[in-house]
Amino acid sequence: MNPTLIPWFKNLPLWVTFIPLLGALLLLFVPKAKRRTFELAALGITILDFALSVPLWFQYDRASAAVQWPTVMDWIPSLGVQFSIGMDGISLVLFLLTTFIGFIAVWCSFNAIEERHKEYYIWLLVMQTSMLGVFICQDMFLFYLFWELMLVPMYFLIAIWGGPQKLYAAIKLFLYTLTGSVLMLVGILAIYFLQKKVGMTPSFSIESFQAMAPIIVQQTKTFQILLALAFFVGFAIKVPMFPFHTWLPDAHVQAPTAGSVILAGILLKMGTYGFVRFLLPILPDATKILMPYFLTLTIVGIIYGALVAMIQKDMKKLVAYSSVSHLALCMLGIFAMNPNGIMGGMFQMINHGISTSALFLIVGIVYERRHTRMIADFGGLSKTMPIYATIFMIMTMSSIGLPGLNGFIGEAAILMGAFQAHPWWAVAATTGIVLGAAYMLWLYQRVMFGSINETNAKMADLSAREIAYFAPLVVAAFWIGLYPMPLMQVLQKPIEKLVTQIDPNYFKAEELKARNAEAARIGQAGMPAPAHVAPAAESHTPAAEAHGGH
Amino acid sequence: MLMEHAASAALSTPVHTSVLWLIPFLPLFGALLNGAYGLFCKSTGRKAPDTKLVDLIALGSVGVAFILSVYYFGVLLSQTPANRSIAQSVWTWIDLGGARVLDGVARNTVDWAYKFDVLSGAMALLVTGVGFLIHLFSTGYMAEERMDGRYYRFMAYMNLFVFSMLNLVLGANILMMFLGWEGVGLCSYLLIGFYFDKEFAAIAGKKAFITNRIGDFGFMLGFFLLFQIFGSVDFDTLMGMTRTIMARPELTIFGLTHSPTWWFNLAGILLFVGACGKSAQIPLYVWLPDAMAGPTPVSALIHAATMVTSGLYMICRMNFVYANAPAALSVVLFVGALTALVAASMGLAQYDIKKVLAYSTVSQLGFMFMGMGAGAYSAGMFHVFTHAFFKAALFLGSGSVIMACHHEQDMRNLGGLKSKMPWTYASMLIATIAIAGIFPFSGFFSKDEILWKVFDGWYRHGQCNGSVLNLVAWIMGMTGAFMTAFYMVRLMVMTFGGEYRGAGHDPHGLAVASEAHGHDDPAHPPVHGHTHDPKEVVWNMWVPVFILALLALVGGFLNIPHSLHWIGGAHFDQWLGPLLYQAGPAHAPQPAPAIEYGLMVWATLVWAPGAMLLAYLFYGLDPSWARPRAFVKRFPGLFRWVHNKYFVDEFYEMAFIGPCKQLGAQLWAFDTWVVDGMVNGAARFTLLWARISYWFDAKIVDGLVNLVAWLLQQLSGGFRKVQTGRVQNYAFVMFLGFLMFAFWKFLA
Repeated sequence: MNPTLIPWFKNLPLWVTFIPLLGALLLLFVPKAKRRTFELAALGITILDFALSVPLWFQYDRASAAVQWPTVMDWIPSLGVQFSIGMDGISLVLFLLTTFIGFIAVWCSFNAIEERHKEYYIWLLVMQTSMLGVFICQDMFLFYLFWELMLVPMYFLIAIWGGPQKLYAAIKLFLYTLTGSVLMLVGILAIYFLQKKVGMTPSFSIESFQAMAPIIVQQTKTFQILLALAFFVGFAIKVPMFPFHTWLPDAHVQAPTAGSVILAGILLKMGTYGFVRFLLPILPDATKILMPYFLTLTIVGIIYGALVAMIQKDMKKLVAYSSVSHLALCMLGIFAMNPNGIMGGMFQMINHGISTSALFLIVGIVYERRHTRMIADFGGLSKTMPIYATIFMIMTMSSIGLPGLNGFIGEAAILMGAFQAHPWWAVAATTGIVLGAAYMLWLYQRVMFGSINETNAKMADLSAREIAYFAPLVVAAFWIGLYPMPLMQVLQKPIEKLVTQIDPNYFKAEELKARNAEAARIGQAGMPAPAHVAPAAESHTPAAEAHGGH
Repeated sequence: MLMEHAASAALSTPVHTSVLWLIPFLPLFGALLNGAYGLFCKSTGRKAPDTKLVDLIALGSVGVAFILSVYYFGVLLSQTPANRSIAQSVWTWIDLGGARVLDGVARNTVDWAYKFDVLSGAMALLVTGVGFLIHLFSTGYMAEERMDGRYYRFMAYMNLFVFSMLNLVLGANILMMFLGWEGVGLCSYLLIGFYFDKEFAAIAGKKAFITNRIGDFGFMLGFFLLFQIFGSVDFDTLMGMTRTIMARPELTIFGLTHSPTWWFNLAGILLFVGACGKSAQIPLYVWLPDAMAGPTPVSALIHAATMVTSGLYMICRMNFVYANAPAALSVVLFVGALTALVAASMGLAQYDIKKVLAYSTVSQLGFMFMGMGAGAYSAGMFHVFTHAFFKAALFLGSGSVIMACHHEQDMRNLGGLKSKMPWTYASMLIATIAIAGIFPFSGFFSKDEILWKVFDGWYRHGQCNGSVLNLVAWIMGMTGAFMTAFYMVRLMVMTFGGEYRGAGHDPHGLAVASEAHGHDDPAHPPVHGHTHDPKEVVWNMWVPVFILALLALVGGFLNIPHSLHWIGGAHFDQWLGPLLYQAGPAHAPQPAPAIEYGLMVWATLVWAPGAMLLAYLFYGLDPSWARPRAFVKRFPGLFRWVHNKYFVDEFYEMAFIGPCKQLGAQLWAFDTWVVDGMVNGAARFTLLWARISYWFDAKIVDGLVNLVAWLLQQLSGGFRKVQTGRVQNYAFVMFLGFLMFAFWKFLA
């Protein structure tokens, strides 16, 4: 951190987190009928929020794995609860993803929302704050608070502005995820009281929870496993992992487009974030014990989600099931528990946030024009909607992991990581890649190719506003696909720290850099014949030198 | 962003590499310019971009890339053989952190880097050179698209393809290769489905992509395994380390201990799965014949000359794996031989001119893989080049024919074009002789070299103790070569010989109901109908074909087999030599055995001419094709079986695709009824429980409360009657009470 920063700038994460809430409070005083005001104000606030969050990217010290921008205040001292915030690289990228998706979610709602604009935009802004809060807090109590708070706006977004079965979907979402959260709360309290039991000053800070890892290992196996399961179920419902996923298609199908975008873009990342932040560092050993079961669920999720997606007739449901598959892949990377896998998992979170959000927007576009999402109602749209077709194609390719686009980086890293740790599971997961291409291309073919009917021929191509909110997503997809290094640098140190927490010996092996550089020099101009035949080249042949280390 | 690669320090004279990256990127810029501007015009309702400008950008970018490739190739050849490698790292693409691999922790870092050596450089020359000619051809062939604003899109896709293909060949590591590998798949998908309003074109594109994805499955696992062994995906590093890896008695990966050869076999086979997909080998070849739904220049560029050879290039690039993987090589050899034979046989029974060439391509790719499988990398690679020349000439020539005959592709409706299209005829004739392998056309030098190497693998200078597989493969290959000569002459005679059957003049009843306008360009039925006689196509179409035919004629002299060294040198072989992994000490070439000369004479004087004569006899000398038709009549089942590609597609549909969809449907039912059913069941159970609780609450708990109230009420009812409000009653009760009290007091 730069010490010369003026104080408010130091608290930038806090500002970014609460600006949407402040904006929402202001909007409360605006008369209901002023629809345009709400739209523009909400957009302005979220764009401002995003703009303010961008400096964080540059402030962040990439050489350190520590929590940055720490702010700690006492809140409920008797319980050891603090108002403690701060971010490391893992939180930062998700934090930025949230502000990024936030303004897109607002922008895509302008036409889609026909009633009760005031509440709608206020709830969206409240949603934004609660999601950002999850990523910046460094205290379990605060974390739980934001985690639960998040559900309320989402509930209303679906229950008021949703489709025909909105109440069912909203209540399902709320109750299902609440069940998970309560289990998680049990886990949190168990660790909290364990602190008391072993004679430590009980505290809810995440740091102290992570420091409990060696003490938890000494407890009984049953305790460890139950604790791990409590966290696992809590996060797995949020991800959602098979078989806890059925709330997702309902919620997605019923939610308005912006709801789906937020749901897919950020809300689901809470679950995967929870795994990275809590389950792995706090309970590494119990996780390792349960790993075969966890891996089974991820592999089932990857293939099952893809197969079910393939036969969907509703575009939105197809994308929702593809989310199940993609997030299971993300979990596979995280469960590989090595730098490649976790890096891939993090990338998959971001990529899924970009491509799946974009796909929901894409579905939203045709839904707004035709009020149907049935694949069979479309066909041949490429002819009349060239820009839409181009963006859809880019996002399809991003979703199926075409190199050069964002999806590939995550997928390749996950599979490489998984292959290093669990080769057979990686082999099984790779089949999901084939299926992914199958269902996405089939969808694209049925919607965009073939002959066009008269109703569809009247559909207009993207408007300037629509192009404007797709553009950042497309740029991000290419940027991550072609030059992901800046993101990788931000994530590198925290992931190394995490891997060391899981397996202290991971990096304590021979560094192969020098050996490989030497080999590259030898192989650079091809392979001369073996040494004993060509004496002139003896000193330069690899057999003598490159092997020296072994 | 641009930094000179450290490797340049190793070169004897520093090479100016700062523009190497332009070779792939120029076509990309072309694609972006054309694509973005065209899209902009279309979406804003402007007039489509001037097609002349589109041509300039598209052809210019590929042309300059070609000139740059020539320059760098010249630079390479001026170096000593050990220094022929120019590398440039443009930026660091990914850095995934440390990874536990075989010997320790390797940093998983991959550069966006290019490597221009003789192998990749020659491929780059091929891609840009042949690519340029095909772009030129397209300017004529796609002329109809100039009107309707689709032209820019075609050219943008073509340029994008060239970019991807150049990434594939010039990539300095496996991930860069994979980038190009998938990129060409995408462009192939887009170009096959160029006429996307036609259902079959869109489906063919999708099929190509998904089939290739199945191959990628193996490819990805293959390179993961290589990374696990080497801790790097950089070609130079892999190459340089192979010998030390091979020197170890065993490798332990994932707790499994096997010899290095075992692991290399595994990696080699996995990578070959990828090659099967991209290069259309059995069992993943099914997409290529369908890919003919794309415009003909696409078939020439992607599905004959360049993209389908990427599997070959990959194996040649990874020769250090295959040189140490005998089992993988055997698989390659066998699959190649089988494909060469089976695909050639399917080519015998096709009437669609492009389908014949498609199966021919599959078959020729099989020959190339045979070469690889026999360990003759340079022979296999050389066939890639000669094949690119003659097959591109054949495809483009067939495109000219199709264009001249108003989108007629069925050879039964063609014929007699020899005098009408002399340039096209001459070019295709040269290419036909080349593919048949007649001395001294290029096909002779490449194909017979492959077949000889395969044979020699068994023959071994008269010892005859080599692998029997080689002998079997050689027999299959020879049979395939015979069929190749046959179906090519059949194609030539049916198309150019006899009389034109398209104009209603059909004395032998050969023509069939035309499927024209359905295949290539559905949007524009020809204005003139079929009555106009076909005539030679415009210059920008026949000139590229003719150039390619000339290359097919003389290209073979670049690599004269050692046994014929008095004709010329084996330049290509010598260029490639240093890039190939030498497992053992190099040995001086031995004098060629007599049988090699014997086989050469046999192939070029008896075998191929025999097949050609046979075809000419059947189709040329007898314009009614009586014998083949009688054959078809006699064995209708056999013909149908071969004509329908042995029903492999139907088998796949039945065995894999159908069950996959069915499984999806079943899983969805499972999801709805079981998984979600449990959730909803939990909700229902909770509701039921709530009702029971409510009943309990209402009837029992509240019942008790109410009971108490009721009792009190009943009781109070009795007492209420006492409260009458009459003074007399109260006085009476008082009196009674007093009486009772007195009674009790006095009596007790």
